[in-house]
Order: sequence, then structure tokens, then C-alpha cells
Amino acid sequence: MASRQLISGPNFSGRSAALMALLHDGKFAPESFYIGPYSEAALSGLTSTIADEIDLYRAKTASLGRAAFSPPDLAAFNQREPQTLSGGEQVLLALHCFSLSSYPALAIDTALEQLDQQNRDAALDYLDPRKNLVASVALIDNRLPPPLVGWTCSERAADTIEFDCDPRRLVADLPGQKAPTIAIRGLQFAYHHGKDIFRAVGLTLDGGNAYRLAGPNGAGKTTLLKLLVGVLAPNAGELTLGGERYRPWRHGNRAIALATQNPDHQWCGATLRDDLARRRAAFARWADAASLADGRMETLAAALGVHSLDAHLYELPLAARKRLSWLWPLSGALPWVMLDEPSIGQDMATRLELAAAIAGLTTRGYGVLFVTHDDDFAERIPHRVLAIGDMQVKAV
Amino acid sequence: MTPNGAFAVGIILIALGMSGPGPRGLTVLVALTLAFAVIEVRGASMIALRRAIVIVLPLAVFMSLVWIGIVGESPAQIAADAVGTRVAALVYVAKLSGRLFLIVAVVQLVFLRFDKLTPLQLVRALALPAAVKRMLVITLSLIGTLRHAIDRAHIALIAAGTLTRTPSLRNVAHSWRLIQAVWLSAVTIMLGRMRDKWPVENTIARLDDTLDNGKPPLFTGDDRIWLPITLGAAVVILLADRVGGMS
Repeated sequence: MASRQLISGPNFSGRSAALMALLHDGKFAPESFYIGPYSEAALSGLTSTIADEIDLYRAKTASLGRAAFSPPDLAAFNQREPQTLSGGEQVLLALHCFSLSSYPALAIDTALEQLDQQNRDAALDYLDPRKNLVASVALIDNRLPPPLVGWTCSERAADTIEFDCDPRRLVADLPGQKAPTIAIRGLQFAYHHGKDIFRAVGLTLDGGNAYRLAGPNGAGKTTLLKLLVGVLAPNAGELTLGGERYRPWRHGNRAIALATQNPDHQWCGATLRDDLARRRAAFARWADAASLADGRMETLAAALGVHSLDAHLYELPLAARKRLSWLWPLSGALPWVMLDEPSIGQDMATRLELAAAIAGLTTRGYGVLFVTHDDDFAERIPHRVLAIGDMQVKAV
Repeated sequence: MTPNGAFAVGIILIALGMSGPGPRGLTVLVALTLAFAVIEVRGASMIALRRAIVIVLPLAVFMSLVWIGIVGESPAQIAADAVGTRVAALVYVAKLSGRLFLIVAVVQLVFLRFDKLTPLQLVRALALPAAVKRMLVITLSLIGTLRHAIDRAHIALIAAGTLTRTPSLRNVAHSWRLIQAVWLSAVTIMLGRMRDKWPVENTIARLDDTLDNGKPPLFTGDDRIWLPITLGAAVVILLADRVGGMS
């Protein structure tokens, strides 16, 4: 009999702890496969090739006779290392590994939120109790409100309001900005020994607008953000910022505040105070240093639920770290804001407030480029769509 | 040839290199290593040689600067309080670099011999106790974790304007921040895995199952040709320069 448990509720209502308790008490299943919110908890971390990752989990003796979950690009994955897969691709690989394994149960903590709609539908279809492809599943997902047919839903309530957050308060008092136009000409990029991700891409991003980068998992959305902030250097092509040549990979990023998909990819220090001090020092020439003083940033951080700049970043819960990752972009430090899957792991109320805050940025003249697979979230931000596919980025 | 046989040959070759053979012994050792490279590793031998040069050359240059350029005599001459010469220092550096080159090249050759195997398949094929294999995989995985942590730290510090992707003075000035960020990332990645994923899945037990390859014969096929040849050559190498007065 297929058992399906959907653990729902707002952030900080103890959903992840409830999931862990369920997995550890042995009643749900003697052993479970676990896909956590980010790559460190999606893949084993023990292997350096995709083939080894699959080999590690493949059932050695008796097979459960389960149908394999095979993502469409599985063959292409084999050319890459597990750590180079995008967040969504790692979740797809983890699901594939589970489907080949002898684990009787599967537990997923918000990881399906990283999948594009097609892959997400395929994953949810695979988990559908009526299909009976998987024995037991426990799931946390902010975009899947109960009730679901065949699922037992346990709704958790937050006893106290922890990390009370309203991102709209960050942008409420921001002065007007005039974000310079970013123009991309003839952009070509490929990872080392990899196929082209972009070929002859031309694109113009005007300040005062929000753009949504849309495309399937692994299309290159995060790669484009990395190119624009200078984490990656293009193989060919050029960027201009306000009409002037801009090479952030050589001279440093000076215009774009980036919030990464995994918030832990963005901290520059152990505490928020360290992190902000380093950003202030780096952007002293380009940003309004007075507006980034500790006093103001502490007030803004409080609006995101963290009341001390001395908070140790890695000791905060993941959902709180994700909220704090919006601080730098929403502080108005830089004219362009780029957000990679900003709403992942956040409950409905917070997603709505974040969408309103992002919309508020554009009305104040900031430029926004964001990536999300959450259509409901995106629809609340007036935006233009940039579709990534076939090595091109095209305005839709 | 099995990984067990290749590793055994590799260990013998390295031990012989470390034993400090004389000219005749060295000739036999180099000939044997080249034969192993040509017959077993073939075209990929050039990759092994190239990597060995890349690793050893900077060290050789540094040692040359210190011993030949600055000190001007060999350690043995210093110990004996004898008059030092740069030629003796040159011979000392050449011997040391040669040994290091041989070790790196042999290690590369052995691994390249099995470049069609994935790391997990290679470890599985080794005749080692389960605990040693497990430790080997976990230790190797730390390299991946470190690379992932470096990637994370790079993203954070470049996006924050602290570092640049291409080499710059800014990178040199802030290198300690990169080290701190890498360290923090590596620790948190490991903690994340050990706290959630591994205990829930019992992942390490799965690893043991994956690495278990039963009890196949220790040496098979070409191992039975290479091992006697290598052991025979070892005797020749060890004795060659003692017979006839050379040592």
C-alpha cells in the first residue's frame, strides 16, 4: 500500500524536524532515500562521476521492480561531474538514483521546488500514489498546498513567529535609482571540455525593468547570471554597462547585487557583520557607503527576521539564511539586482511579500533579473520574459 | 592486468627509485618503467609524463636556485665539512628531482592504466579490506568537497566584488578571505551531509555494499607476467651496481 505524507505549514513551523523525526522513528520505513533542499543533501558527496553516483545507489541484490525515473537529459549528464550539475539537475539525478535503489521510501524536503514545470510534473506524477510506483513518500513542498488525492497531509502551525519577515519594508524607503542599460553582444560560452551553453547571444537589459530568465533545468540560467557578475568569463563577446565596455571577470563586479539559489554560495564572512563589511569595502567606490552603514543594515536585517549583525550565518536555519540572502540586493546598494530562485523554500505569505518588494525595486528605477520556476510568484512581478534555450536568450 | 597487479608493480618501481640505484640500476629501472608505460598505458603515457613535468619542474627550479645558486654545495659536503662545489649541488638536485619525477610519473601511469574505470570501480577492484576501501573513497571525496567549496567561495567573493575571476592584485590581497570562505564552505558542506543525508540513508553502508567485489583472485592475467619481471628486475637493479665495484 502506497503511503504518502505531505508535511505542510509555514516556515519555522518545524516541518523539516517533523520530517526527520518521521524518518528516524522507523515506522514510516526502515530506511529512506533523502533529497534535501540543496546539493549537499541531494547527492551523496562520495562520488566524482555521475556513473559512480548511480552505481552507489543501484540495488545490489533484490530489485523492488520499481519503474526507473529517467530525466530526459540523463545521457548528457554522464559527461559531467555531479557537482557541476545545476540544482534542478541534481534533484533529477537523485530521483533517478532512488528509482534504481532498493530503498523502500523517499523523503524530499522542498527539493522539487528547484525543478522546471515539466520536470516537476514528471516527478509529482512519479510520486502519485495512484500510480503506485513508489511505496512510501514524505514530502515538504511550499508550492503544493493540501489537500492532495491519496496523500495524508499534516498541517503544522507556527507556535511563535520566528524570523518574522517582510521584505517590502526594505524597499519602502529606497531613493530612486537609474540603473544603466546592460548590453550583451555576441556572447559565447562553454564550460571546460563542455558543449556550448551560449552562442552569439545578443541581449539588452534596460534599467527600471524586471526580466525573468525562463528555461528548463540545465539550460544555463544560473550560468548567465554568473557571466554578468563576473564569476565566469565568456569565450567571446562583450558586455557594456551604460554604453561603456564592462568586463566584471577582469575588473570586478561593480553594478550587480546577486542573491544565489543556495544562500550559502553568497556569504563572504562567518557573521552578517563580516559579510557586509567586506561588501562595503569592495563597493566603496561604486555604492553609497553611508547608506550601507551598520545601523541601517541592522534595521533592514531585522525586517528579514534577523535582529543582530553578529548572527553567525551558518547557525541560522536554512529558510532564514535564504531570507537574509535578499538583504544585499534589496538594500539598494547597487543599481542591478539579480535573484536566482529567490522564492525557494519560502511559504506563500513570504513569497507574496518578496514579489511585492521586487516589483517595488523596478518602480524605483532598479533593474531586476530573476530566475524562478514558480509561475505564481513570477506573475506578481511585472516583468518581461527572456527564454533560454538552444544556446540563445530571446525576449518573448 | 588488474588494478592489484598495476599497483603492486607501481609500488615496487617507486621503492626501487627510492633505494637510490647507481647508473646501471637506474638504466634498468628507467627501461622497465618505459616498458610498462609503452605496453600497458600506451598513448596516455605522454599525459603521465607531461603531468610529472608540470608537478616536478617548479620544485626542481626552486631547488636549483637554493642549492646551486645560493648554497653552492651539496648537503653531504656540508655534513662532511668538505669544500663545496656547485657541481655536487647540481648532482644532488638532479638526483632528488629525478626520484620525484619517477614517483609522480609511476603514480600517473598506474592510474592512467585504468582511466576507463570510474574511481569507485577502481577502488572496488582493489584487494583491500572493506574499511580501507571505505576510507579511500571518503578521502578521495574530500577532494571533490574541497573543489565544490572553492567554487562556492569564488562565487561569493567575486559577486561581492572582493575578487576577480582573472588574476589580479586584488586577488592576492584578499587571498586569506578566499581561504576562510573555502574552509567555512567545506566544513558546512560536510556537516550538512553528515547531519541529514548520510544518517537517514545509511549511505556509508551502501558504499560498503558497492565496494564489495567478493573475493576474486589477487593477481590474474598479465599480472603473472609483470610481477615476476618486475621482481626479477628489482634484484638486478639492487645488485647491478654492487657487482663489478660500482655502488
